[in-house]
Amino acid sequence: MNIDRRKLLIGFILVDAVVVSLILLYVLNRPKAGVANTASGERVRIQLNWVPEPEFGGFYAALQDGLYAQEGIDVEIIKGAAGTPAPQMASSGQVECAIASADQMLTLNEKGGDLTAVFSVFETSPMGIMVKADAPWTSLEELWKSEATVAVEAGLPYLKYLSKKIPDSKVRIVPTGAGLAGFERGAVQGQQCFVTAEPVQMELKKVPVRVFSLAASGYDPYAVLVVTKTSWLAEHREVAAKLVRALREGWTRYLADPAKYNVAISKLNPAMSVEAMNIAAEKQRELVAPTGAGARMIGSMTSERWTTLAAQLQELGTISKQPASIDAVFWNAPK
Amino acid sequence: MNERATPGLTVRGSVDAIIPPLSVVVVLLLVWQGAVSLFAPSEFLVPAPLAVARAMWESRSALLAAAWMTGSSAAIGFLLAAFIGVTLGSLLAASRFLMRGLYPIATLLQMVPLVAIAPLLVVWCGYGVRTTIASAVIVSVFPVLAATLDGMRSTDPGLVELFAINRASRVQRWWKLELPWAIPSIVTGLRIAAGLSVIGAIVGEFVGAFAGDQSPVGILIVSAIRENRTDLVFAAVSVAALVGFALFGVVSLVGWILLRRWHASAG
Repeated sequence: MNIDRRKLLIGFILVDAVVVSLILLYVLNRPKAGVANTASGERVRIQLNWVPEPEFGGFYAALQDGLYAQEGIDVEIIKGAAGTPAPQMASSGQVECAIASADQMLTLNEKGGDLTAVFSVFETSPMGIMVKADAPWTSLEELWKSEATVAVEAGLPYLKYLSKKIPDSKVRIVPTGAGLAGFERGAVQGQQCFVTAEPVQMELKKVPVRVFSLAASGYDPYAVLVVTKTSWLAEHREVAAKLVRALREGWTRYLADPAKYNVAISKLNPAMSVEAMNIAAEKQRELVAPTGAGARMIGSMTSERWTTLAAQLQELGTISKQPASIDAVFWNAPK
Repeated sequence: MNERATPGLTVRGSVDAIIPPLSVVVVLLLVWQGAVSLFAPSEFLVPAPLAVARAMWESRSALLAAAWMTGSSAAIGFLLAAFIGVTLGSLLAASRFLMRGLYPIATLLQMVPLVAIAPLLVVWCGYGVRTTIASAVIVSVFPVLAATLDGMRSTDPGLVELFAINRASRVQRWWKLELPWAIPSIVTGLRIAAGLSVIGAIVGEFVGAFAGDQSPVGILIVSAIRENRTDLVFAAVSVAALVGFALFGVVSLVGWILLRRWHASAG
C-alpha cells in the first residue's frame, strides 16, 4: 500500500512538473498581443482604444514602411476593443502611449491622470449621430427635440452639451451595446457613430443614411489623440519627437494611398473588409487633413482649440476647473 | 428530515450573527482608507472609502432611483426564474425522458456568456425593462432548476414506496412529498438566484435600458466609468450589492419561515 502511495505521489509530481513546464513554455513563447517592428531602439507601446481600423491607418502605415525603425524606435501597436481603458493604461505606466479623445484626457487629468497629448489624428471630430436617409429630421436639434430613440454611450460629455444646448429635448437615450441591429430594424432612430465606421457598414448593407456632425453643432474635441504620461514625456522628449515624426509621415503616406495599407490592417481586424476600410479612409480624409488647413502639420494642435474645449467642459460640469496651463496639456513636436 | 425545536430570532442571536461580518467589513474599510492615505494613488485608480461615501451621499437621489429601477427588474426576473425553475425542475424530476432531453439544454443557460447574448435580448425584447428582466431570468433560472431537480430526486425511496402503497396520485406525491422534501434545496437555489438576478439585470441594463434624469444602476455605472468617476462607480456597485443583499435577505427570511419547524438548515 505504501509503495502504491509513493508511486501515486511520484506520478502526481511528474504530471505537475509536465503541466508547469508546458505553462512556462507557453508563457515564455506566447505570441505578443500587438504588432511591433523589429528595430532595437527605445521601446514605445501604443495602446489603441479600438480594433485596427482606418482611424489608425497612419500608425500601421508607419509600421509597414519601417518608419519607426528608421527613427530608431521600437514601436508596438496593441489592439484595443470596446471598453479598453487605454488612457488609464498610459496614466498608470502600463504602456508609454495610448489613444484617447481630448475631452476624455482633460477629464482624466482632473482625477490625477497626468497625461499630455502629443499627436491628434483628427483635426475635426468624426463623431456624429446617424439617421436613416428618409428620416424626417433635418438637423441634430430637430432630432433632439423629437421623441425619437437614440443610441449613444452614456456618460460622454457631448450628451451634456446637447442637453444644455437643446433644453427642450424629448429624445430617449439608450446604450449602444446592442450594435446596429436596433438601428437597422428601426427600434432606434438615431445612432451615435464615427463617420468612418457605422455609416460605412450601413452603406455596404445598402441602407442609406445621413450623419449629423457633432463638430458642426459646436462641440469639436480633438479625437484619436496619442497621449502619454507627462513625466514620461519629460524624460523621453526625443523619443516622443521621433514617434511624432514617424506618425506624421505614416499618415501622409496613408492618406496618399490608403488601399496600399488597408490589406494589412484588415488582416488584424477580419471583421472589417478591405472594401469597407477603403470607403472609411476616403470619408475620414477631410477630417484628418482638411483642405483649408493650410500649412498645418498633420497631428498638430492649437491652444485655442484646447482652451475652447476646457471652457466647454467646465461649463458642463465635467471638469471643475481649468487646467493650470493649457499649453501643458499638449505638445507639438518640432519638425 | 430533522425534527427540532423552533429556533427563535433573539436579539442576542442577531447580534452574534451581525458582529463578525461587520467587524471584518470595518477592518477592511480602515485598511483600505489607510492604504489610500498612505500611497495616495490617483483618484481614478482607487478611490478612498470616504470618497465613495461622499459620492453616495451627493448622488443619493440618483442612486436611490437606480436601486429602485434595478431592484424591481431583478425582483421580477427573480420571481419569474423561481416559477420557471421550480416548474421545469419538477417536470424534469417526474420524467427521466424529459430530464435526459431537456437538462443538457437547460445547462446551456449556465454556460452561455450573458454578455454575449445580451445584445440579442435587445433585438428580441426591445429597449426597456423587458430586456433587463429577460436578462435577470436567464442568469438566475438555472440554480433554481438544478436545486429543484436535485431536491426532488433525493426524496427518500422508502417514503416514495409508502405513497405508492397508499395509491397516491402523481400530483399528490409531488405536492405532499417531493416538493416539501425539496424545499431546503430549492431555498438554497433561490438564495444563489437572488444575487444572480441583480447581476443579470445590470448586464441587461448595460445594453438595453433607457438613460435619462433617472437611470438604473447599469447605466449609472457606465456613465461613471466614462466620466472617470471611480468613486461613483464604487458607490453604484455598492448599491447593486445592497439590492442583491436585500433580495437574498427576503429569500432567506421566507426560507427560514418555511423550514424553521422541521429542518436543520433554518437554525
